[in-house]
Amino acid sequence: MINKKNLKKISDWLWEIPKTFRKDMRVTARIYASDKIFDSVESEALNQLINSATLPGIVKYAIGMPDIHQGYGPPIGGVGAMKLPEGVISPGFVGYDENCGCRLLLSHYPQKEIQPHMERLAAEIQKKVPSGLGKGRQIKLSIEQINKILEGGVPKLVEQGYGEKEDVENCEEKGKIEEADASYVSEKAKNRGRDQVGTLGSGNHFLEIQKVEEIFDEKAAKVFGLFKGQTAIMIHTGSRGLGHQNCTDYLKIVMNALPKYGIKLPDRELACAPFNSPEGQNFFKAMSAVCNYAWANRQMITHYIRKAWQSVLGEKANLKLLYDVAHNIAKIEEYEVDGEKMKLIVHRKGATRAFPAGHSEIPQKYKDTGQPVIIPGSMGTSSYVLVGTEKSKEAWHTVCHGAGRTMSRHAATRSIPPQDLIKNLKNKGIIVHCASLRGLVEEAPQAYKDINEVVEVVHQAGLSKKVAKLIPLAVIKGE
Amino acid sequence: MKYELLPHLADLKIRVFGKNKNELFENAMVGMFEGAGFAATKQIAKKEIGVESINSESLLIDFLNEVLYLASVNKEIYQKIIYREFSEHKIRAELLGKKIKRFDSEIKGATHHNLEIKKIKDYWQAIILFDV
Repeated sequence: MINKKNLKKISDWLWEIPKTFRKDMRVTARIYASDKIFDSVESEALNQLINSATLPGIVKYAIGMPDIHQGYGPPIGGVGAMKLPEGVISPGFVGYDENCGCRLLLSHYPQKEIQPHMERLAAEIQKKVPSGLGKGRQIKLSIEQINKILEGGVPKLVEQGYGEKEDVENCEEKGKIEEADASYVSEKAKNRGRDQVGTLGSGNHFLEIQKVEEIFDEKAAKVFGLFKGQTAIMIHTGSRGLGHQNCTDYLKIVMNALPKYGIKLPDRELACAPFNSPEGQNFFKAMSAVCNYAWANRQMITHYIRKAWQSVLGEKANLKLLYDVAHNIAKIEEYEVDGEKMKLIVHRKGATRAFPAGHSEIPQKYKDTGQPVIIPGSMGTSSYVLVGTEKSKEAWHTVCHGAGRTMSRHAATRSIPPQDLIKNLKNKGIIVHCASLRGLVEEAPQAYKDINEVVEVVHQAGLSKKVAKLIPLAVIKGE
Repeated sequence: MKYELLPHLADLKIRVFGKNKNELFENAMVGMFEGAGFAATKQIAKKEIGVESINSESLLIDFLNEVLYLASVNKEIYQKIIYREFSEHKIRAELLGKKIKRFDSEIKGATHHNLEIKKIKDYWQAIILFDV
């Protein structure tokens, strides 16, 4: 087990575990953290990062973000890029919630104008967007319809009238990975997804009505359409049961195939297959389809939120999509490494892509500024909009995804009286609409690291620059 | 005791007990559902299940994930296993339980993390981690 004394401090914001630390490491491990955050990182999370450095084909570094914490196989807040075609792809390095991610919708209303309607807005949104743990959506889609979503993603939904043209443009991958192939997603996964399009899930998934509290970068804020006091809505959810089943399905397949490829790993949950193997290709096509489903899910939720918004504020009240980012995903990206151009499969597990200005894959209107990066805070705390930088290339253009837990769900339920939590949130002026008190308490802010500290690390390390800070006005967690 | 909750930062961790492996598997299933939390109805639920795997540990995880699948799509939980066939590599059984109104939280999957099935004195024991 690693001792923190084994780490080398590279800068105030960056630490390294050299690859000589353990025989099976193929690359050095790096963690972006401040001194304070570093002291709270669990040894097991560091151990998992070291394990990730053993994956065949991994290039340069196994990287941990400042919200790093223990996961299954690779840590959450982990990034690793493998060289194609023979480097591996790993379902565990994507996570059980494939394309869990976040989007921010912007209104043109300042908070003062919205405040009198806040209770009603929160109630209407909660009615229209179920958690999916009870009844789910009333409509159960057919397998054929699910296949169309798996391959069509956001563009398919917009075509069917569930969004605007800009919703496609302002979504990572334009809401659809082309390599998606629904025939590689199991019937079981599809069955689990049939009544879940447009549902939130549970745990740390949420909807929040938020206010732009502070602007750090006026120029970028103007391009993104952000202003101080503005009302916005953040959506944090993923691929629901369909994605969890896909991960379970492929973990089993790649685990069983390890002996075939002579891959030996320090942890079964790191299970992987060469990208160019049948198992690797099938997982990539299936994962891509599931990611399309997750984007479609967030798009459908957007559609229902817009309806709720308009039912309270009138037909002309619209919400524009700033951007949608995935934070559990594996993507093919091209980089120059030590003078050589190479294609990599970049795994981001609890980590968010952050492309710089000029990158071909970001929307035209953001090209001179850089990609918006949406970082959700834990319940009742701040969220952030950042902008991608050129310097983040050292981390495969990646930053953190949130705050990371410090207290177990069980400990939170035991130590935090639900009524106190609701009272505290109310005292901050935050309306709470949540069907499950247990679900609420498990997500209490004291159970998480300080998001401001986490974001400060990526800002100071130059991986992304802060553009705006948002605070919650209403938290909605589905019936 | 069928199972106990153990501390874990983000997810559901349980230590399961059983007089034999049959009981261990059943208590793991019960612990998983009670860990997730649910609101049951009075309506009875029955399902046939069949799983094959490379060894006992994988069989336990594959079994729990299959149970999770059946529970999710049918909106049910299960409390008893009526075994028809049970070995190191295979389970065929009937599951008995109840229809539910809702789950309190969603289990994403049963993981292999540090999984070990072992016999301590007269009891079988396993520690299982579920991604929540």
